Amino acid sequence: MKKIIALCLLLGFVPTAWAAGYAYTIRATELKAKPYSDAQTLATLAPRSKVEVLTRQAGWTQVKSVSFSGWVKMLSLQLESNAQSKRGDSGLGSLFNVAATGKSGSTVTTGVRGLSEEQLKNAQPDAKALQAAKRNAASKQDAQRFAAEGKLEAQSVDYMSGGQ
Amino acid sequence: MRTNRTLFMSCLLAAALPATAFDLGKIDWDKAVKTVQKVQKANTEIDEPQEIMLGDGIASNLLGAAPLLDNPAVQKYVNRVGRWLASQTERPDLPWLFGVLDDNDVNAFATPGGKVFVTKGLLVRMSSEAELAGVLAHEMSHVLRKHHLQAIKKGAQAELLTDLANDAIREKGGDPRLTKLVSAGTEVYARGLDKNDEYEADRMGVVIAARGGYDPYGLPAVLQTLQAINPSDSDVALMFKTHPAMTDRLSRLDQEMSGQFDQFENQPDLAPRFMRTLGAGKK
Repeated sequence: MKKIIALCLLLGFVPTAWAAGYAYTIRATELKAKPYSDAQTLATLAPRSKVEVLTRQAGWTQVKSVSFSGWVKMLSLQLESNAQSKRGDSGLGSLFNVAATGKSGSTVTTGVRGLSEEQLKNAQPDAKALQAAKRNAASKQDAQRFAAEGKLEAQSVDYMSGGQ
Repeated sequence: MRTNRTLFMSCLLAAALPATAFDLGKIDWDKAVKTVQKVQKANTEIDEPQEIMLGDGIASNLLGAAPLLDNPAVQKYVNRVGRWLASQTERPDLPWLFGVLDDNDVNAFATPGGKVFVTKGLLVRMSSEAELAGVLAHEMSHVLRKHHLQAIKKGAQAELLTDLANDAIREKGGDPRLTKLVSAGTEVYARGLDKNDEYEADRMGVVIAARGGYDPYGLPAVLQTLQAINPSDSDVALMFKTHPAMTDRLSRLDQEMSGQFDQFENQPDLAPRFMRTLGAGKK
């Protein structure tokens, strides 16, 4: 474990931060100095500008390129879809033995169990597993304590009506 | 069926009348109509205990398809996040249960009555508790709005749902029609919900996450991550097939959240707690 940490430090990985990935702006996008709407606008990026993705803070993504760095609206970006761009790869995949990339669609699902379309149609019940799952359930009070530990504060927010 | 119902309603109407009331002037029409409406409603809508029972059956099937991840710390954690969010909704007292399925497929499922599952494959692609909250809140919205029951009603076994509502299906003793209904309920995951129900769950999901005090951009962040997965990857095949295109979902959320969610942008995403729990759970 120590070796892995040393290696991470050597390679400049910051724990819990995203592996660097790339994204494109999907429209003309204001580059802000800070992740706020009223922050100073540094530049306007043209549609299809390629940027390196650093981190996300609420609706804002920190980006950089050789010529600029700053914050853009998260939803003005589309992450690059290739093995090099995995903003979501926090390292958990390898920890849980999940290969996050590179699998082709030709994998044949074998056996009865699994969550493919065919397997779901033929699923057999496992009532014991449901009973076991219920032992992990949290009570309202337990959840409230947990929320307080995380400094989560309940807010009053109305549902949005469908605009489209 | 139609004639039967008319006959049934006429009988009922007659029963609602006082014995001497064949003088039409004396009939309490309001009362009679209300009685008929009440019975009609009971004929098509299952009640909450039935909804929970059906959902438990479907949850058993899901767990038959994929086992629970053997990691109590992670399971407890997901339940606490989910239960806290559930308390912010209009159905806070359902027997909510959350679970992680030990499967590399990238997907999430909600069953009627409040059982919600995410796969390990989806969980490891998340980076914060706010992202988990967004996904759970999306799934919970399907439960809150009974989208799953609507989908069963549109399917070939809709009549079994009516039978259940009419108490014609016994809950105990392995009634084969119940098994059939549970199978039909499980098959809904193979064909997917109505597109508009997915959009609605996205809209509600970001609100429920905000109500829970989370950074509300967790759900769109997950959708953006999923958008970047190669669609030919078999792990996303069913999820992509049964949901509207990520690009459409994201562009709707972009418009809908624009402006009014700025006030929540300082709410925490609790990425450290998420990483700590998942990291510590697997040694």
